Amino acid sequence: MSAGTLFVAESRGRKVRNALATAFMVLSFLVMLVPLVLIVGYVVQRGAGVISWSFLTDDLPIIDRLPGGGIGPAIVGTLIIVGAATAMAVPLGLLGGIYLNEYGGKRRTASVVRFLADVMTGVPSVVMGLFIFTIWTLRYQYSAFGGALALACLMLPIIIRTSEEVLRLVSHDQREASYALGGRKATTIRRVVLPAAAPGILSGALLAIARAAGETAPLLFTILYVTKTNTSLLHGPNVALPLLIFKNAQSPFTAAADRAWGAALTLIVIVFVFTLLARIVAAGFDRRRRA
Amino acid sequence: MSTDLRPRPQAPAPHKLSETPNPSGAHSDRAFRYLALGGGLVVFVVLALIAWSTTKEAWPAFTSEGISFVTSTTWDPAHGKFGALALIYGTFVTSAIALVFAVPVSFGIALFVTEVAPGWVRRPVVYVVDLLATIPSVVFGLWGIAVLGRAVPGFYENVASFFAPIPVVGTLLSGDPISGASFMTAGLILALMIIPIVTSIAREVFATVPSEQKEAAYGLGATRWEMIRGAMFPYARSGLVAGTMIGLGRALGETIAVALVVGANARVTPKLFSNGNTMAAIIANEFGEATGTHRAALIGLGVLLFVITIVIGIFARWIVSRSAHDVSTGAVR
Amino acid sequence: MKTSRGRLRASSLVVTAVALALVAAACGSSSSKSKGSSATTGASSSLPSATLNGSGSTFQQPYDQAAIQAFTQQHPGVTINYAGGGSGKGQTDLQGKLVDFAGTDALPKPADLPKYTGGALLYFPFVAAPITVSYNVSGLDKLQLSADTIAKIFERQIKTWNDPAIKADNPGVSLPSTSITVVHRSDSSGTTNNFTTYLKKAAPTVWTLGADKTVNWPSDTQAGNGNPGVANAVKATNGAIGYIDYSDAKASGLKFASVKNAAGKFVAPSLDATSAALQTATINPDLSYDPINAPGDASYAITSPTWIMVSKNQTDHAKGTVLKAFLTFVLSSDGQNLAATADFAKLPSNMLSKAQAQLNQIVVP
Repeated sequence: MSAGTLFVAESRGRKVRNALATAFMVLSFLVMLVPLVLIVGYVVQRGAGVISWSFLTDDLPIIDRLPGGGIGPAIVGTLIIVGAATAMAVPLGLLGGIYLNEYGGKRRTASVVRFLADVMTGVPSVVMGLFIFTIWTLRYQYSAFGGALALACLMLPIIIRTSEEVLRLVSHDQREASYALGGRKATTIRRVVLPAAAPGILSGALLAIARAAGETAPLLFTILYVTKTNTSLLHGPNVALPLLIFKNAQSPFTAAADRAWGAALTLIVIVFVFTLLARIVAAGFDRRRRA
Repeated sequence: MSTDLRPRPQAPAPHKLSETPNPSGAHSDRAFRYLALGGGLVVFVVLALIAWSTTKEAWPAFTSEGISFVTSTTWDPAHGKFGALALIYGTFVTSAIALVFAVPVSFGIALFVTEVAPGWVRRPVVYVVDLLATIPSVVFGLWGIAVLGRAVPGFYENVASFFAPIPVVGTLLSGDPISGASFMTAGLILALMIIPIVTSIAREVFATVPSEQKEAAYGLGATRWEMIRGAMFPYARSGLVAGTMIGLGRALGETIAVALVVGANARVTPKLFSNGNTMAAIIANEFGEATGTHRAALIGLGVLLFVITIVIGIFARWIVSRSAHDVSTGAVR
Repeated sequence: MKTSRGRLRASSLVVTAVALALVAAACGSSSSKSKGSSATTGASSSLPSATLNGSGSTFQQPYDQAAIQAFTQQHPGVTINYAGGGSGKGQTDLQGKLVDFAGTDALPKPADLPKYTGGALLYFPFVAAPITVSYNVSGLDKLQLSADTIAKIFERQIKTWNDPAIKADNPGVSLPSTSITVVHRSDSSGTTNNFTTYLKKAAPTVWTLGADKTVNWPSDTQAGNGNPGVANAVKATNGAIGYIDYSDAKASGLKFASVKNAAGKFVAPSLDATSAALQTATINPDLSYDPINAPGDASYAITSPTWIMVSKNQTDHAKGTVLKAFLTFVLSSDGQNLAATADFAKLPSNMLSKAQAQLNQIVVP
């Protein structure tokens, strides 16, 4: 960074550029905000009317174009499938990120893994679904676990890469201090690096979970469909909220479309509340740590 | 995130001061190391499996089409023709549009959060970006057709007539014919979808720029923008690139949302307001009914997408390494 | 006091503990819904309890749901899941024995038969329905179209509503000069297959795009995802025309064109006209048949067939028994009378009796 080049030309031009930049930053936020409000507003407008306790807990109706029934099985299915996917992807992804940043560095294996993780983020969700269909569904039938596997494959590279980047940001000084006190590498990671990087890791994980919860294509090849709640992870087909939305949101039959949009609103609310809670709890511990 | 980052020595930890390393610690250290390596290798294993199984299933299409699979723009299952070039083009174009819009906006939001917004605004802004991330991809697609796709043709007409006289841009910003479901609409929807992840990583990275670097720039009389450009961007570079790569990956692979708004018409045209198609979208749209060579060809598109992602990855890394001057970060290197 | 450790634990706990708890609960529980045979429940049912899974054609799904509803009400121990997803999915699933029955609008090609790991197949026709040519032109209440005109419209040789060819089909009707917006399917579909098969059959000199589940439409057309998607697109644009299944088109409030059939008569899509087409169709020994462009004055030209496919040799006693009973119900007068409630036409008696006779070929252990 060359200091000398900062003092050039009249300060008016620099002030203008600065003001423009600031305006751009504020504008960016607004540019994102407008479609967000429009989309959420649209979902609320189309879906809020059907929400009720019975809507959230009743079984799916067998005839979906007739009014009645609820989305209970789909909520349970989404929770189980996304929960299982998270349980697989987050620990593995975090470990992968730790490996890349703490042990791998610039070594060959690490570069390859890093590169492959990037490639994996580009695999379309439909291809992931197809892949799990071939190696799992054909062998073990339709089940929630197949869906969880497919979603976990989608989440894994994101968590690895975001974890790695956030771990990289933990300053050298902190690590050095820990080593100086005789801490071993694993201990340093566990007690110093990970806690410092936790908020960033959490962010990455939450975004991956939010994305997985909203994916349709991987589920099309792995879970089939049911109208009654199936709490089993490994046995029998299942159903999930994104599937419901995809099947019925465009239907000219009001009952089916309303149910689909109610499901969309429910999904957004569930994932958002979960994200909020996670952030609040993490921030709470963070405050206590600094106290 | 500017806190006192020095670890405080914890009182009851006597053996940490000893000279000789704890022997059992060595084992757990090694175990942890292999565990971490395992996490990384899972990626390798899964990708290898995907590559192998997809190539195997796609093979009949490769052999029957030959090189025309990648050079022909005619995708016509009714006549047994499977040329993927138009789909490769569509994938590139929609992803490029997505990046062009999403990257500046994401960096802008991230900088807004870390530099511009007053303290009490930061947390809500983060939550708002989180909210964008919770919207299911199918909802993006449905809103895309029902609302955005209906509203934009008029807007596209205005833009097209405004830019018509300008040489390159005029052609890009036109349609053949102008359609609500188009490359541009798909690109815009994709941009919305990738903003949360790119913003999040950018935010994390910007927030960790050491205050000394920022203070130094201010001390030299820099405006905020000059400080950002001079002190923050170089420091944040690797993270910004990583975020962009993840966003790009998502854009390349997004299936359902694009399938609903891109127009389902495989062709190569520079006119971005026209309907088009992408690899992921066409797989999603046609797979349910495909048999035989058609099915193999669709899986072949998946293989192609792999190859393309690899090529883009190599290209991006080359660009980054060309212009890299390593600012020291905190990483263990 | 928890400091750095606490923070680490908090973050990871929040994310994974909930997930693990759910997973543990799910692994621990077992679903009673997928067990094969168990004791009979309910006094009124003499069938074993079982869960049947099916997938395939979305075209027949409304009828399937009505039949499942009625059947499972009579037999409380039975659960039947029909997932739709397209004829291709149904065929793939049945090949891999992932489902007990598959719905399909087109029968497998002989070359594909070895892929069915369950062995020989039986095809059961059970209902049929028309494919409408729906349109949205303000002021135009009645429209007649011949096959050649439809072909030219969908190939974009005819671009406005007051084209001479359309005028010729509609003598005396004043047509606006609105430009035509053609809407087709973005996803592969049996409906596209049957519609294009009709055009190839009835307008062979004009239709050049071929007949398949996916067709290379001209670029100045619109696409909709699924029958509802096409219906919405047609509804939203003045001057639009598209091919949509009867049920969704009716529910969308769209108007249908009367199509000129093989006998030269303009016939509107209706369940009666569909039955008329079915009556005249030749039924092959394996119960395949082709009602498209059927002869007869009252026949509707674009009638779509559909079948339920099952493996001839069932492997599970309870499932096989229930499957056979379900198909028997579908082909009974109760089951056939349900068809109209779902906007489907029931089978004519000659076809019905053949289908019922085929039920005996199902082998249940």
